[in-house]
Amino acid sequence: MSDIGYLKRLFQAYYKENRSEIPVVNLIKEREFGFVPWDKRTIMNRHLSFKNHESITKYLADEGPRHVYSSGALYLEPDNIDMDNKEYQGCDLIIDIDVDHFYTTCKEDHDLWYCKECGKSGKGMPDKCPNCKKLKLKTVTWICEDCLEIAKNEIIKLLYNFLIPDFNINVKDIKIAFSGHRGYHLKIENNKIRKLSGNERRDIADYLTGENISFELLGLQEKGGNIFGISKMAFGWSYKIIKRIEEFLLKPKDIIENLLMDEKQFNFNKNLVKSFLNYQDDLLNTIRSENKNMWTIEGFGLNSWKKFLKIIVEYLGVEVDVPVTVDIHRLIRYPGSLHGKTGFKVQEIFIDDLDAFNPLDEADLKIDPIVFRGEKEITHKIEIIEPEVPLSKIKGISYGPYNQGEIIEVPHHIAIFLLCKGVAKTI
Amino acid sequence: MSSEYDLVQQYPWLRSLEKYFSDIASKPPTEFISEIFTNEYGNEIKERLLKLFKAAFDNLEEIHDYKTDKLNLYVYLLLKIFLYALDNRVITNRLANLYSKITYNELIAENSNLKIYNICKDLGFKINYYHPPINYGKKIIKEQTEKFETNFSIHFIDYLKLASNLRDEYRKLVHNSLSDGFVFIQNNRLIRLIQEYVRNKLLIEETKDKSSLNKFLEKATEIQDFKNLYEEILSKWAERKEEFEFKFNIDFEKSEDLQTLFPPCVKEILNKAQEGQNLIHNERLFIVWYLIALDYPTDNIVNIFSKMPDFDEETTTYQVNFAQRKKYIPYKCSTLKSLTLCRAEKYNDELCLIGYGAKEPSERKKLAHPLNYTRIKQYRTTKEKEFMNKKTEEENE
Repeated sequence: MSDIGYLKRLFQAYYKENRSEIPVVNLIKEREFGFVPWDKRTIMNRHLSFKNHESITKYLADEGPRHVYSSGALYLEPDNIDMDNKEYQGCDLIIDIDVDHFYTTCKEDHDLWYCKECGKSGKGMPDKCPNCKKLKLKTVTWICEDCLEIAKNEIIKLLYNFLIPDFNINVKDIKIAFSGHRGYHLKIENNKIRKLSGNERRDIADYLTGENISFELLGLQEKGGNIFGISKMAFGWSYKIIKRIEEFLLKPKDIIENLLMDEKQFNFNKNLVKSFLNYQDDLLNTIRSENKNMWTIEGFGLNSWKKFLKIIVEYLGVEVDVPVTVDIHRLIRYPGSLHGKTGFKVQEIFIDDLDAFNPLDEADLKIDPIVFRGEKEITHKIEIIEPEVPLSKIKGISYGPYNQGEIIEVPHHIAIFLLCKGVAKTI
Repeated sequence: MSSEYDLVQQYPWLRSLEKYFSDIASKPPTEFISEIFTNEYGNEIKERLLKLFKAAFDNLEEIHDYKTDKLNLYVYLLLKIFLYALDNRVITNRLANLYSKITYNELIAENSNLKIYNICKDLGFKINYYHPPINYGKKIIKEQTEKFETNFSIHFIDYLKLASNLRDEYRKLVHNSLSDGFVFIQNNRLIRLIQEYVRNKLLIEETKDKSSLNKFLEKATEIQDFKNLYEEILSKWAERKEEFEFKFNIDFEKSEDLQTLFPPCVKEILNKAQEGQNLIHNERLFIVWYLIALDYPTDNIVNIFSKMPDFDEETTTYQVNFAQRKKYIPYKCSTLKSLTLCRAEKYNDELCLIGYGAKEPSERKKLAHPLNYTRIKQYRTTKEKEFMNKKTEEENE
């Protein structure tokens, strides 16, 4: 049996044995479904609908698709192939946090790239080949506890710095799920929010990311050679920025110096950093003062302040995949389904469980996304087919790194993971 | 009479209209029209209505002696009936812009925050009223302190529903004070949102059911006063409409008519502009950058915005010139998608949806930039012409 056939059967068997584990999604018959089969010739079958939970779980057990998606949108005719005739009724607000879309330092260890043009390879996530500058890069993206922890912290930031205090979203309306691969989805199911248009959702996304913020509109301005800071507001982004600057100024001098010099942070030159440090205490007093707001630091013009504030905003904002939030017809992974690139489950998590949740080494079996780890230690012999496979630490045990042609014997769940990732084949 | 009743007379776009004037609402429109024109104020109502249309066609921003007395209600209802009867998006947009601006001025002149609060409640907005006003921040420049005070905070969903289509950057959520689901909003900015509500209320979609419209017109024009007024409005429109209907007859290499080469995202914005609809900030930026990239002359770009409700020639010219100097590159397709400005599906455009470069769909290249759309279209048109010319030459030989 081919590996594809094997994985398909495995997925079918999983769905058959775990029908009761698949969560009931609200208003299921109004949602559009899409499936990616194992047959690589078909990209996605979409515009499908199911009458109830039983019919979708049966379909999963029968077909064992590689990827399963459903719409955030609700339609009167979800299976109509013409989007205009689906009779759109509204859409959950979806926020996707995926480490594919932002930089994490651990990618320098585990994400690999090969240039199809010049053959150069390396680690990290460059936009283009650093050697020939061409865009034709093949990447092998990997996961680790660090990047998944970063993604989880973004969800926590989203909840406790934005959705709950600013938007007053009822936690009962919030559903969070580990995507089964490199991130998390957060869904808000609320009838009023469902009526928001794409443009209106764009405004929310910009608020969450801090993207397109105008510091001038928040009050920053130059007058008579002096810089006057952001208005002292009781709420919103102005408040968040001022609070963060205060936290920053309370750090020890050597830490501030390092951050200001750091190329991946503020990236200021030595003279500017020296000047900033000379004014550190004065600035802290001004920030805390009720009646003063002059942010004048020698050598720090309006542009330097904007550069400084941009980094502050990047720190405070959430790494949201904006097009997902804005697009009201987007399909997202179905909770309880299996991710075809890992074999991990798309696992729903209660807000209270989020803090302790560790998708790669979860102690609580009820929310463990690694579903192919059996009680018995079954192993498989597989051969590595990619030039290089990064190290994977799953369930506290490290596997790899491996090189092309290497034949390894690994536990069942690791074999499934490597086969799903497409970096190994059975022998 | 209750204060609510008086409020509806003054501001007939309120939801309570149905509650207090259910007798009017339940009447067939033709009966209502007939009654209005035969009552003692019939002539005055007609005059006021005509004045509104004339002012809108003259591109005026306000009517100085506009009255919000008891006749105001009938003027509003007739206005809606006439907009339906005229079935012309450009006229509807002009009237919606003018009427909503008049409303803004009236509300500003009210000087009663409690009244504004009652209006918001009537419109179903989730709103908090603070008395005395709440202080939610301050801006300090030198010795001067500007306090941010307001009587109102509005729920973010209501805020977004009204503010997201406005172009001003300050209205973006990210620039506002948001807490516990409510946006703290200064009184005049709240009134600006009510203006937008009123504008939207008048923006009825072009009638799809033409047979119902024709039946209505047939019946309504049996009422002589309606017929006269309808014809007078149409004749006033005929005098002015050329100024509203402009074309983009601009050459872009080899004398191509650019309009045929525009991608759907550009066509959509130009259509909206032509109809006098408000454009959101990103639509304005994109259309300016796009046309500049095609060497479109400044005057013509400025002219596109001339029918906007907030058009200011001097400011627009400055901004277009500024963009020209800066040489901004128009948004690429992926950005347009994320800004919800892509209209490929709406126009079912083959080049956008299927791509170009090969007959086999799987081998086609995806369009990544709207400027490429124009280039490809122009290339295809040129090739087609060359082919046709060659064919004609061969036939002549």
